[in-house]
Order: sequence, then C-alpha cells, then structure tokens
Amino acid sequence: METGSDRPNPMDHSGPPPDGASVGDANSVPDEVVCEEFVELVTDYFEDALPPRKLSHVEEHLVLCDWCRTYLDQMQATIGALGGLGERALAEPSESVLAALRSRQETDGR
Amino acid sequence: MTTKSPLSTGRDVQVAAALKAGDEAAFRDLFERTYPMMKRVALGYVDSDAVAEEVVQETWLAVVKGIDRFEGRSTLGTWIFSILTNQAKSHHGRERRARPFSSIGSGGADEPAIHADRFQKDDEAWPGHWAIPPRPWQKPERRLLSLEARDRLKDALAQLPARQRAVVGLRDVDGLPAEEVCDVLNLSPENQRVLLHRGRSRLRAILEQYVDGADA
Repeated sequence: METGSDRPNPMDHSGPPPDGASVGDANSVPDEVVCEEFVELVTDYFEDALPPRKLSHVEEHLVLCDWCRTYLDQMQATIGALGGLGERALAEPSESVLAALRSRQETDGR
Repeated sequence: MTTKSPLSTGRDVQVAAALKAGDEAAFRDLFERTYPMMKRVALGYVDSDAVAEEVVQETWLAVVKGIDRFEGRSTLGTWIFSILTNQAKSHHGRERRARPFSSIGSGGADEPAIHADRFQKDDEAWPGHWAIPPRPWQKPERRLLSLEARDRLKDALAQLPARQRAVVGLRDVDGLPAEEVCDVLNLSPENQRVLLHRGRSRLRAILEQYVDGADA
C-alpha cells in the first residue's frame, strides 16, 4: 500500500524531524509523540488521564498528523457503535423474585 | 460520556417507591433494562453464564425483600451493586473457584493497539509513524450502523478476554462512569483504563477490517 500519495506527510511541517533533533536536555521527557505511541495513549487522552506535558505533546501531534486524527475518529466511532449495543434482556425475573414482589403488593395494599 | 445507566438516572426515589409497592410493570422494566449490565458485573466474579444469571436473580430477590432498608444514603444503583457483588463473591467462595476476577490472565495487556507492522521501522524515514495508516470512515459511519456491523461488534465484544469484556461493556455499552466500574469490579483506575484501552483498540481493529473489507 502506498502511503501518503494523496495526503500530506503527517510530519510535513517546518520544524525539525521527529528524531535526533529534539530540543531540551537529555533528562527531559521526549518532546514528540510518534504515531505508534499515540495509538496507546488514545484512551488516557479520552479519559483525561494524561500528565500535562504528555497531553500537550499528544495535542501537538494531533495538529500535525491527519492519520492519527483519523485514528482518533475511529476510536470515537467505535465507542459510539458500542453505545448502540445496549438492549433489553430476554430474561425474566424468576418465580421467587416475582413472588417476593407480589407479597409486597399485599402488605402495601392493606 | 454521559451516564445512561438506568440505575444512575436520578430516579431513585420513584424506582424505590415502585419496588416498595411491588409494582410489577415497573419492576419488569427495571429488570430488563439492567439485566445485561448486572450480568456483566456478575461475570466479573464468576465464570459461567448460568451462575452469573443465578446471581442476578438472587440479587433482585434480596433487593425486593430488603428495599425497606434502602435509606437513600447511597444511590440506589450503588446499593444494588453492593448486593450484587456480595452475592457474586459468595458464589465465588461456595464454588471454590481457583481464580478471582483480578487474576484472570493478563487480559491481553501486552498486545499493542496496532500491530507494529503498520508503523515504519527504525531504518525507515519516519520511525514510529504510520506505514499503513488508517483510512477515514465515512461520516456518519453508515456501515457501522448496519445490523451486520452491530452483530460483528457484539460477537467481537463477547470474545474479548473476560476483564476487557466486563470493562468495555460496562463503560461503553451500559454507560457507567469509570469510578463506578472500578468500584463494582474492584479495579484500580489504572487497570480499568488499561483494560478499556485494550478492549476498545481490539474492537476498533475488528470494525476497521469490516469497513475496509466492505469497501474493497
């Protein structure tokens, strides 16, 4: 599969390439999130569970990467589709549950 | 995500009153709407469908008999869930199951959301960036709304490892908030998120296969 033929390279921006040229000292958290990492952070992103610095890297990545935005949309669509799976049970309350319920009607209707 | 749980809708007073009065129509409605969710919680503690179904029935029996003791200090949902988890745990003990919920396998925790083959390797131009990117799904995702897609998704959910299935079902199908899911399944927030992530990622991949396959 040819990639990016009709779409911009996700990292096609004027900044430095993602690897080898990151700013900041050696002890800092890496300054960029790449796609492979992004797909593992999506849920924490949805759940507001990313530490602030990570969150800003994720948001920067999303601005630059069409493909990861597509991925994010797909995760959201998946969650939406799951929300459509709710259904009523085919099961019935057991006889003993119904009996207990009916005995309440008697005490209630005194 | 909004809460749509029938046990968390702020209708506690009416529901409790209906239960106290033995209102059968209201009870059946509540029973049917909450059954899948309650069974999901029970399956967090016991292995078999049949036992989980028994646990749900026993829970309702205890709820109907004991509704007078519900004083509204917790929500009705929390109260019912606490009865449910206690019933499930006692089954668990009675049957001497060797594996409490929290130790069932890794839950697929080591599996990446996306296979590494779909990303560029270290010797390629953009290591870690997409080599085979996802293709946009049309909006609204009409294919996802088809009965076939729904069935696929349902099957895929049923086939997730037990812990992922419970968490994804309760969060995304039943709409319970994260804290409540942690509570009823006795999970840490981190574990809950990991299980949710693995489950959702796997289900997205199944839908992608379906959508892309159908497009091809």
